[in-house]
Amino acid sequence: MELLDRYLQAVKKHLPWQRQDDIIAELRANLEAQLEDKEAELGRPLTQQEAEEWIKQLGSPLQVAARYQRHQYLIGPGLFPTYWYVLKLAFYWVTAIYVVAKTITFAAVGSSPEAYAGIALSLPWIWLTNGAIVTLVFAVIELSGSQFGRKIAQLPPLNPGWSPLDLPPVDANDNENRRWSFAKAMAEVIFGCLFFAWLLLVPHYPYLMFGPGAWYLASLPYKLAHAWWPFYWCIVGINGFELMWKIADLTGGAWQKRRVWRHWAMHSLSLIPLGILLAAPGQQLFLAKTVAANAKSLADANRGLHTALMVAVAVVALQIVWHTGKMVVEAYRKRVAA
Amino acid sequence: MTLTESLFENLRLELRRGCLTLAVLAQLKQEHYGYTLRKALASRGMEIDESTLYPLLRRLEAQGLLTSEWREEEKRNKRFYKLSSDGEQIFTRLLDEWNRINTSITNLL
Repeated sequence: MELLDRYLQAVKKHLPWQRQDDIIAELRANLEAQLEDKEAELGRPLTQQEAEEWIKQLGSPLQVAARYQRHQYLIGPGLFPTYWYVLKLAFYWVTAIYVVAKTITFAAVGSSPEAYAGIALSLPWIWLTNGAIVTLVFAVIELSGSQFGRKIAQLPPLNPGWSPLDLPPVDANDNENRRWSFAKAMAEVIFGCLFFAWLLLVPHYPYLMFGPGAWYLASLPYKLAHAWWPFYWCIVGINGFELMWKIADLTGGAWQKRRVWRHWAMHSLSLIPLGILLAAPGQQLFLAKTVAANAKSLADANRGLHTALMVAVAVVALQIVWHTGKMVVEAYRKRVAA
Repeated sequence: MTLTESLFENLRLELRRGCLTLAVLAQLKQEHYGYTLRKALASRGMEIDESTLYPLLRRLEAQGLLTSEWREEEKRNKRFYKLSSDGEQIFTRLLDEWNRINTSITNLL
């Protein structure tokens, strides 16, 4: 039958080349036997329309051929959990390395709004490239043989042999499962008060912070720039605010409440004092007490501190983004669970 | 197809997948070529599409559960399949498992 020949020819095109002839010969024998049965049952050859219907119900050539393929997937179920784990790790690391590298570059050579836009635009491409590379590597592992693929998947650290006793302890930051006792909350407030008092005393008694080094620092030909005062009062304000929040929780009987929001708020507020220092006029955080002071080493110290502050701001900003993302995900989970 | 229908169809296919292998192994205690195997299964209520059965035979053979040979019958070359010795062992164990599952499900219902 010509239609059957055409069908088998179309199937053959999509079959693995090493087994094409063998598979087609078997398929032909089976289908011709089936056709003979049909015609014997009818007592006549199939009409064109009946032949078309019969061929059609066999399935499209592409789909029929696909069932003979050994690999119908890029990464199989055996390797997929490892692939997904590595993909996520690569995503986090690439993002972190890229952002830190860019921050250091900006700190060294300066930045502009266009440069920040450039980061935002190039990150998706970096993620895509990174994802493509990881996928390609795993696809090659999968293709190179399921046995090899399984061995790779079992290699530490991709799949460390595990025992329940080796499981990490419950995350101390897992506020969901963390039980906060009254004693702990009370201790937190007491130590918070002591720390706050210490903070207020430091400007008057610098040795409380630097110890004997305070007298040495006083003898240096450098002094702190004015920007440190708003920085200091900002730190005092933030700590006072957090202390009040803790006291309110304690007196209001809410010491067992989750601390996610407080943690997030404090983290976000910490950007303000850092920003104050970054905005210091002329990036000068240390000034010379006398004209004789070494101007070059002073400029180097100011530049170094400014760079360190830039990195600190970037790290804190990343942490805030991370925590915000976690909170959004958790809120979504709760909503779904509800 | 509605979402429920589509879900049912997916679950049905998933449930059938393992059963088909068991049915094919059971039927291939006797030698068959593709088409007669399909007819034999259909006559016992186990309908299988050509596009599912013939590749399945190849896969089971590649796994060492079946042996095959090309032979002429009724003036046509056909590939005949039969359960291998490994296949017989695996089939016996699968059948035990199937019976256990069947008993459990019956008890559950």
